[in-house]
Amino acid sequence: MSLHQLAQPQVAPVPDVKQRKARGRRLRGLKPYLYLLPVLLSVGYWIYRPLVQTFRLSFYQWNLLPTSPQTYVGWQNFQNLVTLPEVGKALANTLIYTLGVIPFSLILPIIIAIATDNIGKRSRNIYRALIFLPMIMAPVAVSSVWRWIMHPTNGILNQLLMSVFGLEEPIRYFTDERWAIWSVTFITGWKLIGFSTLIFSAAITGINKEYYEAARIDRASWWQIIRHVTLPLLSPTILFMAMLSTLFASEWSFSYINVLTQGGPLSSTTNVYYLLWTYGFQSFNVGVSSAAAVMVFVGFGIIALGFMKLTKKLSFFDN
Amino acid sequence: MGNPSGVRRGLASLTLKHAALIALSFLAVFPLYWMVVTSLKPEAEVFTSSLLPAHWTLDNYVSAWNSIPMGRMLLNSLGVAFAQTATQLFTAILAAYAFTRWEFRGSGLLYGLIGLTWLVPFQVIMIPNYIVISGLGWRDTLLGLIVPNIASAFAVMQLFNTFKSFPKTLIEAAHLDGASDWSVLWRTIFPNLRASIASIGILLFITAWNDYFWPLLVTTKLENSTMQKGLQMFISSEGSMWGTLMAATTLASLPVLVLYLVLQRQIIDSFVKGGLR
Repeated sequence: MSLHQLAQPQVAPVPDVKQRKARGRRLRGLKPYLYLLPVLLSVGYWIYRPLVQTFRLSFYQWNLLPTSPQTYVGWQNFQNLVTLPEVGKALANTLIYTLGVIPFSLILPIIIAIATDNIGKRSRNIYRALIFLPMIMAPVAVSSVWRWIMHPTNGILNQLLMSVFGLEEPIRYFTDERWAIWSVTFITGWKLIGFSTLIFSAAITGINKEYYEAARIDRASWWQIIRHVTLPLLSPTILFMAMLSTLFASEWSFSYINVLTQGGPLSSTTNVYYLLWTYGFQSFNVGVSSAAAVMVFVGFGIIALGFMKLTKKLSFFDN
Repeated sequence: MGNPSGVRRGLASLTLKHAALIALSFLAVFPLYWMVVTSLKPEAEVFTSSLLPAHWTLDNYVSAWNSIPMGRMLLNSLGVAFAQTATQLFTAILAAYAFTRWEFRGSGLLYGLIGLTWLVPFQVIMIPNYIVISGLGWRDTLLGLIVPNIASAFAVMQLFNTFKSFPKTLIEAAHLDGASDWSVLWRTIFPNLRASIASIGILLFITAWNDYFWPLLVTTKLENSTMQKGLQMFISSEGSMWGTLMAATTLASLPVLVLYLVLQRQIIDSFVKGGLR
């Protein structure tokens, strides 16, 4: 692949003046496309081509070996998906991840952002820098650190809970099926909470202070101001974060699942993305994996469209 | 506001605000603190919950360095992250220039096609891409890690917004002076937007450095993989050598942490402006 070279035509030496005029007009029309070529080729080849191929593969049975044949099986992969018991489990878990992340992506950040508005500028910057830190950390590194902190017998979390709060049995955060999914959700949320808080803080800072003045003159109470001024004006941001967290909560938790639980115990932490992964690269069932991928893509696509519609509907709040 | 009870209430609420923020900061920072502190403790102290090592040591770093090809993996990660950042910036600069400089047929559609890619999760396209990379014989090579990522829709959209704000009159002036479109881009626009381009570049670098999915698929041998993939393999093989593991984790996070230490203001701003991807 020489995508770079394909990007080169526009640096070719300028043709001499005579030719220039004749070719000039045609080239002029082509120019924007030439500048776009590298990105379009890359996006087309590495995102849209595989997307189409995934749709195609969802109708075939294949084990990923180049030498073995791909057999057309029609809708059978989709029918298999519906009957596989782990699919239901993965869907239910996906819902748990999606809802479980909301306190970290919406509720707590909104509360914190509202409560800490108009704090001194210097201390605000220090808090910002600290709170944001988890966001830039690599998911694998984050998994590694929490695996140590939440280790059942040697981790500092259980040590603290046992010595200070009198916990008797150490909690097995990643191997106890009642806890595992919540542990993974917590870690996903931990990485996110600082980022969301900053997004909401920025939105609140952007609200015109005259609205508050007016509300105060009308003798609105603190709660009334939040309920009728702050929250409605924040609604585009709230919607935006709700969309991000709904669409990506399960994808973000993927790394933690893969490093910390591998979907277990008893597939209690698996989700749809992890299922795609295991079908594709553990049981080498490309057809079923692709069928699941198609369902995931269509499902989340519909959700995204819904959110975009809602955003459009609400956007008049802004002005 | 002169009455003392009001002042006291104001003070109380300010204290409460700071308490909440300190608690949140603690929650955010403590795991990283614990990572670094554990990595500096000698073997005998690792299992104690003392907040500082009684005897500081770098033994864990030495053993991490010796038990996996850490140097190679760090170099791989740096190489991949730099190459990805550079190519993504370059391709995105060209694209953003095209979108903002000319009106042409299909520009809205093409921009939409680029923008919509954020709706395509990695796991949905991983198998076909994996097949291509395998077919090219690029598994376990840096090329296989870099080439699928030479363009970033995120970078295009961020730079589009940056380029849009660039004054048209300056472009016209340069053009009247006889500058070609290519030199308008690199002599007029680029130098002026260098700061914003750099901060987008930092974001791309962090994303590339932290990437885990693609190396997980494409590389199998430790000496060919990036730091993140190597760390994951280390966790699954030597998962209970906590001191060594925390040293490896610290090393895997170090470049990003150093960047953050120096440039946190810009990093936070561009993250908040740019969303998550």
